[in-house]
Amino acid sequence: MLLAWTLLALLGLGASCNSVVPRGEWKAQPSECSQRLQHPVRYVVISHTAGSTCDCPSSCEQQARNVQHYHKGSLGWCDVGYNFLIGEDGHVYEGRGWHIKGDHTGPTWNPISIGITFMGNYMERVPPKRALRAALNLLECGVARGFLRSNYEVKGHRDVQNTLSPGDQLYEVIQRWEGYRE
Amino acid sequence: MRKAGLLGLFWMFLVSEVQAAVDPAEERYDLVEGQTLTVGCPFNIMKYARSRKAWQKLQDGKEPLTLVVTERSPTNPSEVRMGKYTLKDDPDEAMLHVQMTDLRVTDSGLYRCVIYHPPNDPVLLFHPVRLVVTKDSSSLLTSDIIPTTRTTEDPGLFTTKYMRRDMTVTQPLPKSTTVVSSPDPGVTFTNATSVTRVFISSIVVPVVCGLFSKTLVFTVMFAVTQRSFGGQTMSHNSDF
Repeated sequence: MLLAWTLLALLGLGASCNSVVPRGEWKAQPSECSQRLQHPVRYVVISHTAGSTCDCPSSCEQQARNVQHYHKGSLGWCDVGYNFLIGEDGHVYEGRGWHIKGDHTGPTWNPISIGITFMGNYMERVPPKRALRAALNLLECGVARGFLRSNYEVKGHRDVQNTLSPGDQLYEVIQRWEGYRE
Repeated sequence: MRKAGLLGLFWMFLVSEVQAAVDPAEERYDLVEGQTLTVGCPFNIMKYARSRKAWQKLQDGKEPLTLVVTERSPTNPSEVRMGKYTLKDDPDEAMLHVQMTDLRVTDSGLYRCVIYHPPNDPVLLFHPVRLVVTKDSSSLLTSDIIPTTRTTEDPGLFTTKYMRRDMTVTQPLPKSTTVVSSPDPGVTFTNATSVTRVFISSIVVPVVCGLFSKTLVFTVMFAVTQRSFGGQTMSHNSDF
């Protein structure tokens, strides 16, 4: 009985971690970032891109490239700013990942948090359930792999910076998440 | 069916027990005399950017002692110092930085960051901080061993959670003096001083104790419901 539960749990953990779309797959430009995050990370900051949304893999891959192009090209950053991007297709797109410090919030929060963004504008709509599920699975994976503290805390972008991000509707949703702490 | 209900009750007790033990969990910081404690206490920027903040020491049976408090209505980053205690309020970054320098064994105790707005009750920021300062001893890693490259704590370190927290002699502390410095100006967050292995030991004991008491309550409730429903046939609950 215990063995069955253990196997089930392990299966579950493996699945959440394996379903991130790696950089190569969405044809990312190479990262030029070098600053690393110390693990386990305590905080997760949820934002939205406030830009276009996408609802299938091909359009989400394109959107991830667009965001990266804006960050690297126009803003001159070493890579797309987010650690992970979530598409309405229900997939997680690997940004800077678990190991590299992001540029998603500010100088205080970037070194101490994982920045997860939802691709779209969520002031007046919520992301579909599959997108929310993908984010929560990602967080589970982070804990399982030791990248996140087991008592990690989720913050909305607007909780830690003066911004509308992650949008009124998405903000309301994350406030009900298990790990949310205002 | 009734069994399922009772089973659900049982899991509720279990989960609530763990939840209670986890949430107000103290964050323990083990340091050596002469070292500096650095703590980052985040606050909600929308609610508390302009509020006063304080660093307090908690004392058994007495009111918390306010050691240092920020100026009224800080809007820009501000710094206040009271002897060894320094508070840096960064309202634009939603972070309160606390520093206690030149630690002594007598500084050991329980502290907290709060939103300070009397007569309202203070609002706890971050977690209560359990500071344990010990005399300098050669068995502990001391500050002259500073890694030159920033190390990431990999998942392997999780195994130290299972070591007793008072085994300070052989605990590896790769982060003990590493400063997580980013090129971003002004703000260094010394993640190094936090010791996360308190998690297991401060959870297991209260959970086990709580479990015993809850099991007792559960058993009593079970016995009571058995007695009151015993013999009665449940004829109307067939739609499960």
